[in-house]
Amino acid sequence: MTLWISLILHALAYGSILALAAQGEVLAERAGVINLGVEGLMALGAVTAVLAADASVSPWLGCLAAVAVGAGGALVLGLATVNGSANQTLCGVALTFLGLGLSAVIGHNVAGLPVAAGFSSWPIPVLSHLPLVGPLFDQSPFVYLAFGLLPLLCHIVLFRTRLGLSLRAVGENPGAADAVGIPVRRFRLGAVVIGGALAGLAGADMTLSVMPVWSEGMIAGRGWIAVALVIFCGYRPVLAAASSLLFGLVMSLSFFGQAQGWPVPPAILNMTPYLGTILFMIVPAMLLPGMRRFMAAPAALGTPYFREER
Amino acid sequence: MSLKPRSLLTRRSLLAAAPLAALPLTAQAKPRFAPIAEEDLLVAFGHTSPINDGGWSQMHDKAIRALKAHFPKMRSLYVESVPYSADATRLFRQFVAEGAQMVISTSNYGDFIKDVADQAPDVGFLECDGNAVTSNLAWYYITHWYASYVIGIAAARLSRTGRLGYVASFPTSSVIASANATLLGARSVNPEATMRVISINSWFDPQAAASAGAALIDSGCDFLCGIMDDPGYLRVAEERNVWAAMWNTDMRQFGPKAYVSSVVLDFEAYYRETIAARIAGTWRPKGTFLTLGHGVDRDSWGARVPLAIQREADAARDRMLAGWSPFVGPIKDSNCQIRVPAGQTMTDMEIFHWSWQVEGVSGLV
Repeated sequence: MTLWISLILHALAYGSILALAAQGEVLAERAGVINLGVEGLMALGAVTAVLAADASVSPWLGCLAAVAVGAGGALVLGLATVNGSANQTLCGVALTFLGLGLSAVIGHNVAGLPVAAGFSSWPIPVLSHLPLVGPLFDQSPFVYLAFGLLPLLCHIVLFRTRLGLSLRAVGENPGAADAVGIPVRRFRLGAVVIGGALAGLAGADMTLSVMPVWSEGMIAGRGWIAVALVIFCGYRPVLAAASSLLFGLVMSLSFFGQAQGWPVPPAILNMTPYLGTILFMIVPAMLLPGMRRFMAAPAALGTPYFREER
Repeated sequence: MSLKPRSLLTRRSLLAAAPLAALPLTAQAKPRFAPIAEEDLLVAFGHTSPINDGGWSQMHDKAIRALKAHFPKMRSLYVESVPYSADATRLFRQFVAEGAQMVISTSNYGDFIKDVADQAPDVGFLECDGNAVTSNLAWYYITHWYASYVIGIAAARLSRTGRLGYVASFPTSSVIASANATLLGARSVNPEATMRVISINSWFDPQAAASAGAALIDSGCDFLCGIMDDPGYLRVAEERNVWAAMWNTDMRQFGPKAYVSSVVLDFEAYYRETIAARIAGTWRPKGTFLTLGHGVDRDSWGARVPLAIQREADAARDRMLAGWSPFVGPIKDSNCQIRVPAGQTMTDMEIFHWSWQVEGVSGLV
């Protein structure tokens, strides 16, 4: 039984990384911008978190630096794609390569070394003393944020406020949004920057909480999985958190399966997160034609807005 | 059946002999590896990972830096993170173009390095963990299995459950030899000991190593070992209050309570001898094993390892230093088939190419 609890704990920790990044991507895509630079922004966030935490011996400053770098990187992407109307796919991929390369260079001297300061877990007073499920309420602040506060906040803002309605309108029909006086470019830029900040935070989650160490290539496709998750969850914040947990579970399975001696080659078990991504993309779309509407992307996703073409 | 008299000199036999005829001509052209002045020598190193990786490449780099004291006028260059791909061929070719007389790769690059070596017959190539010896390509490797065996003895004494966890990279023969030797050492004092292996498909991935370590502890292992360049699982062991043995370097600072020992590497003496031989013109390509105490050893024991256990393990080490090999049959594989018959001793070459897991190891191959 403790084995299963430890599997779930592992899934929560690893899922929180995906959940933070996916939440940011939901916001950006709802506003009509695909940010394919998440992988690179996560790497930059992860490495700056380590560098800043080492320099200041404060995990909070490390976290702040990661958020700032994530937002800064996304601002560049936003200016290019929203204001410059450049191709979102190309710019996003370029940002990923830039982030991965740059993080390897600036993190060269701290690779593999322990981080000076990290987040410890925050036990919730009464709940963490419960038998059996107690450990579930003794998590890092990132886990509470990724699975509690943030999805709820995003859900309320997106679907229960005027601000969220405007944001969604910008992603669905920027022309109409513009006609009623919503500043389309400002909304899109804002959503991309907040999304990038969350990607940076996801990186900080990795290096300050889940495993306090930086190494090149440690993001290992998690940014891409986060992008895929957003499509899988139909651009919905709460479902994004839930599916991140599911993916955290799938990712943990590769170690769990090997430790349990499942008769599956380790190479196959290590593939599970990526195989899972493909499966989760294909299966719902194929099995349930009715899901297509539920999973539909914002209508103006990926297309730059020109007022002159309205 | 009739024997027809046949001309020896046919077109076919001529064609077949043509490549053979070319061989002695090129060999005669110039004496290879002639003596060279120290200031003219350029040695190029290709590393598989960054030189500050805290493990394998760092130990090689440390040895290379120490060479400077002995050969102050020698020039050297290095490239980090050489990928295992055609890019490696390009890099090694670049080394040759730069004028290097010795090219040393600190990891196995198979045909990627052999192709370059074949095209540059006057340049000496040295490949760590390699397996080909040609007229200008040699290999060297450490007989780390003896050190692993010593650590295995301590592991069995320290573990309460008799279950060892091994964090592996890939199921290559080096990794198999390391895991097998550790468990054979453990089984020499506790015949019930078993080992569970997790492969993480990397030599340097602190995140995955830590996750693998945690999963092994969760499944009942209370002694972690492995073959990683980073201290990832040592830190998990420290947190979870179990033991851990490492590879490459002394990593006790990352888990002083959990640290048992490490398979430590020292390539300095070997590199020194090789360079000296190249300068003197006496270097000849051959395979070289760096033996226990001469390039590889167990690290000094961790602070919490009881003295009695240290002595017991070191007794085996002393016997090995005196020439004893613990790798004597009968040795069974994990399907309980006898692979090494009773009384037969495995040679270092056989251990170097170990391809099956011994009885008690699971999850490796």
